[in-house]
Amino acid sequence: MDSKSDKSGSQNTRREFVRDIGAAGLLVAAATGAPTVFAQGKAPISLSFWTFENPQQRPWLHKRVKQYTDRNPHVKVDFQWFAMGDLSKKVSVGYATGTAPDGFVSQDWVMPVWMSKNLLAPLDVSRLGYANYNAFVDDFAPAFVAGATQGGKVYGYPLWFYAFSNYINTNHFKEAGLDPVKNAPKTWDEFGEVAKRLTRKEGGKFTRQGFKFSMIAPVWTMLQYNPILLMSGGKWFDDAGKCTVNNVAGVKAMTLRASMVRQYGTEDPTDTIATAPLPGMDWLKERCSMFWSHPLPLVAIKSQNEKMAAEGYFKPIQYPGIGSTKGFSTSYGFNLVINAQVSQAKQEALHDLYKFIMSDPLDAWADTQPFPLARKSGWADNPAVKTFPHVDEILGARDRGVYLPRTVVYNELSDAMHRAVQKVLLNNGDIQQTLNEAAAEVDRASAALKKA
Amino acid sequence: MLDVGSRGLASESGSATAIDLAHRQRLPRKRRGWSLRYRHRIQLWGFGFVLPTLLFLAVFKYGPMLWAIDLSFHAYDIVSPPRYVGLENYRLLLADPIFRETLINTLFYIAGSTLLITVVGLALALAINTGVPGSRSCMTIMFLTNLMPILAVCLVWRFLLHPYGLVNQVLEPFGIGRINWLTNDSTALPAIIIVTVWRFAPYFMVVFLAALLALPADYYEAAELEGAGALRRFWHITLPLLSPTIFFVVVVSALLSARIFLMPYIMTGGGPGNATRVLPMLIYETAFSYMKMGMAAAISVVLFAIMLVFTALQMRFFLRREQVNS
Repeated sequence: MDSKSDKSGSQNTRREFVRDIGAAGLLVAAATGAPTVFAQGKAPISLSFWTFENPQQRPWLHKRVKQYTDRNPHVKVDFQWFAMGDLSKKVSVGYATGTAPDGFVSQDWVMPVWMSKNLLAPLDVSRLGYANYNAFVDDFAPAFVAGATQGGKVYGYPLWFYAFSNYINTNHFKEAGLDPVKNAPKTWDEFGEVAKRLTRKEGGKFTRQGFKFSMIAPVWTMLQYNPILLMSGGKWFDDAGKCTVNNVAGVKAMTLRASMVRQYGTEDPTDTIATAPLPGMDWLKERCSMFWSHPLPLVAIKSQNEKMAAEGYFKPIQYPGIGSTKGFSTSYGFNLVINAQVSQAKQEALHDLYKFIMSDPLDAWADTQPFPLARKSGWADNPAVKTFPHVDEILGARDRGVYLPRTVVYNELSDAMHRAVQKVLLNNGDIQQTLNEAAAEVDRASAALKKA
Repeated sequence: MLDVGSRGLASESGSATAIDLAHRQRLPRKRRGWSLRYRHRIQLWGFGFVLPTLLFLAVFKYGPMLWAIDLSFHAYDIVSPPRYVGLENYRLLLADPIFRETLINTLFYIAGSTLLITVVGLALALAINTGVPGSRSCMTIMFLTNLMPILAVCLVWRFLLHPYGLVNQVLEPFGIGRINWLTNDSTALPAIIIVTVWRFAPYFMVVFLAALLALPADYYEAAELEGAGALRRFWHITLPLLSPTIFFVVVVSALLSARIFLMPYIMTGGGPGNATRVLPMLIYETAFSYMKMGMAAAISVVLFAIMLVFTALQMRFFLRREQVNS
């Protein structure tokens, strides 16, 4: 028995030895060659992806997409970008003509439009690396992620999320005998008076505007008007869904909006709208002392004004408050979304692509600073972020900020308000009447939508 | 006359070609039936050659037109299937002050640009036709405005018409104060009309010039002998003889003007307020920004109807004038 058992044990050992070598070979093959074989074996897939143009954000997204396709050669991505104001219109045209991209970056304020028409596919958060829905939601600012979720489903993967600040030229402050810290305007009255002192004119022509609004497009009108309306105690809509931009608070807000021209004379709106450069270009070129802007990257400042970037005589500060309300601005952001009309295979590939894009938040910060990411984890505590100039003001503005109205008639609302601002400022229109017209226009759109 | 039997082929067809007849002459009498089929085959071949064009027009031109008319009676938001709503879209349009303002803007723009394009185009052609040295070079230079990309034209004119732009600087020595060309609701649309005329008048100048060169010289010689002055010759000879060309220019420039989109879109974005918004812009916004395809289709039907009525009136006016002249 023993010898047999020994013999058999000896035979087994040899067999086992051979088997082990074979298994080891298979394991080595599995560990090295198999992924390549697997990748090559995957069916080729072509994706289209659209985003908005920005000198930092668009190249970073492009870089990440390229890195992904390099690692996954079976995936091809047609990467296209458009001006910020045009992106949602292009996507709408795409949906209308059956040429919408498979995935795109959506501004958070148009999410309700897409979601109300079931144009976005719900995201599988486990495929994005989150344990469950709650883990996903907890990783973002609640108010922001609320705009990307509906009925317990996630429709947008938040990308960047930031707010406007009042960018001041500290040299201009000093020239005008103002202290950039002590005299930083905290109320609207102070704001108007400071802007007036910063304004320079020669023969009725502005050589420097103390403060200017952007009038380039409806999106800028909304971003800048939104906090004025809310700080004035106004609302975009009442509980019944009726547009209320023309109530007493609404009139107060538009009066304040117009006060920089009508009362303080700090800007020339005809010049602003007719020139239509990049919003904020006048501030970068020091033709304007204060401007409300999203976080301004140092490279953007440097590209237009090397001296300002090198000497750092600029500073983002909080918006002026109105009445007893402390100042705040508009917070907004962007989501990675998936077209609901594309195949399951494409949806899955886009999940993988989005997970990869967002897998290195520090790389995102390094390339796109000072645009903060929407997610909480993995970046904000890093020293590279914490030591960034003015980062506290940038993040503080984001956290204090208010959102653009989330409504399915957002485009109608923004166009109506853009027209109203133009009528009031360029044609000296009556504020109450102009706002009545705008509110009626929005109510007509809401009524038509309800009826449809 | 070829002898083709009692049932002469020429008389059957009424327009037999020499090849047909020669072919049939060679055929034995019993195969006359085949020759008839041959004629049908020729016709079928002809029809076959035309068919792709007919199909192209049906699918890409008249099909979408009919579909747009049909869509104007539906509520359609791109995603959900179109829902029949009857005349609701038209009722909403009539009640919409933005639409009414835009309609008035469009009519003003069509009338202004058509009138000025015709007058300026004719005036330029008459000036070139005088044969003053250098006039041909001037014509070539003026025609270049048509070759410039529309985007470049719009951007250049936006800077020229800027409150501190070249146009205002040129006008300043004449005591004309700053005009906010594109930012004032009373000057914005006229400014766009001026740019339209600047762009399109030289094109129609060439059309007028071609017609002027084709006018018979003996009419003018006879009029001169009778002592008619330049103005009378223009009024009694040139203008009547040019009336078909004027009709063509008026109709074509009106149709071009009705489709204007890029100029106001780029130069003013439809503003200030709603001062330069025209129907094609409203169609675009309604369809692609507000996703109301049915409503956008209704606006396009209104625009189509305006152009149809306008063209019919023009034809009636000019044809009656032609009849009176003849």
